[in-house]
Amino acid sequence: MPVSSQLLKPVKRSFIVFTFIVALTLALIPWGPMVRAFLPDFVALTLLYWCMNQPRHVGVGWAFWLAMLLDIADGNVFGQHGLAYCATSWFVLGRHRQLGMFPLWQQALYVAPLLLANQLIMLLVRMATGSGFPGWSYFVGTLSGALLWPLLSQLLQAPQRVDKPAEIQS
Amino acid sequence: MQATNQPVFFKQGPKPFSLLLIYASLSLTLLVVDVRWQILQPVRETVSVALYPLQWLATAPISAAQQVGDYFVSQTALQRENRKLQDDKLLASAELMRLQALRQENTQLRALLSTRAAHQGKGTLTEVLYNDRDPFTAKLVVDRGESSGVRLGQVVIDPQGVVGQVTRLQPLTAEVTLISNKGHTVPVQVVRNGVRAVLYGLGPENPLEVNWMPLNADIRSDDVLVTSGIDGTYPPGLPVARVKRVDRNAGSAFARISCEPAADIDKHRFLLILDERRDQPARPVEHAAKPARRGAHKEPA
Repeated sequence: MPVSSQLLKPVKRSFIVFTFIVALTLALIPWGPMVRAFLPDFVALTLLYWCMNQPRHVGVGWAFWLAMLLDIADGNVFGQHGLAYCATSWFVLGRHRQLGMFPLWQQALYVAPLLLANQLIMLLVRMATGSGFPGWSYFVGTLSGALLWPLLSQLLQAPQRVDKPAEIQS
Repeated sequence: MQATNQPVFFKQGPKPFSLLLIYASLSLTLLVVDVRWQILQPVRETVSVALYPLQWLATAPISAAQQVGDYFVSQTALQRENRKLQDDKLLASAELMRLQALRQENTQLRALLSTRAAHQGKGTLTEVLYNDRDPFTAKLVVDRGESSGVRLGQVVIDPQGVVGQVTRLQPLTAEVTLISNKGHTVPVQVVRNGVRAVLYGLGPENPLEVNWMPLNADIRSDDVLVTSGIDGTYPPGLPVARVKRVDRNAGSAFARISCEPAADIDKHRFLLILDERRDQPARPVEHAAKPARRGAHKEPA
């Protein structure tokens, strides 16, 4: 079902912050190396979702500062996540009206290359700063992220849904 | 520019693209700064403190689950582990004891090696086979005998000093009489002033004694006695004993001087049989030596 076809309550800013905190926490959990390879980038997914659905609340600035936090938490070089997140969030912001029309599975198809671009940019940054290639499993997270997209969208949209449409009309 | 003409409703702040440019260039700058100069460490540390609650939140459930899991480890598993650890510990301590013994042996062998080098490499390294079975005598049996070229009267030393001399020979073994054997005598000299004396053994477990010294003899405690070489059996200059106590009792004619051996005569497993032939004038005939018998050392044939 297209997201835009529903009538939604306005989102609370605190809820957006809360989802980002949850995403960051998920990213910080010390998964084993096997699990980590299959896990999507939760922060990137959440960020893309809000950029697509609430472009007036969440934008490139959010992307940048979240990326800073991730860089610090992971101990990476500064700016590794920043470049990637800024680029992809900008891309989504530019097309959020169009993307909002799509059904969720189609959005997922759109999100998958964006996640891949994220990974590619980060890979480029790391290799430019002297790290080695981490192996092809690095990109598996992209696929699982795209698969997770419909579920994540439903979940993040849940607080905005109106239980009884009749109430609105009255 | 355009934004100012728009109604407030459409106002969305700076355009995403300009934001992208700003933040992307900021990212790149940070990247370069961080990689090139590594000056952002304080920032990193400060912000990571702020991130700590999140990290705690992320790891707390896992560590809590682990703790619960630890709590329910079965008794049998613990017992099994305990038993295995006990076994391992026994094995390890046995190994450790062997290691310590080996280490000690090694140090002693090394010391003997250097002693042997000090004596121009002349000497036979020998291992103590057993103490003599007679409890009244201080004797050892070592694993070198006639077939190894050991001769009667050869001096046996350890790294610290004289242990004794070879007194009986067998083809493969030799008997060493220790300087503490009762009646065994060693002609000695005080290092400090060159006073000559004779050192008597008083039997195993007893101190050595210097006899027949006048009350006013210049011997003090802690004097080191070395062989004087007068008898022709002991080469001169080997440390023999250290004076422990000097009793000058006016009731007796002689000072009573007790000493302790310089060598660890009852400790080691390895000893050195010295091989130092010295050219000696011909020995006086037997009847001429008889009056001096009391003060002379126990001379093997």
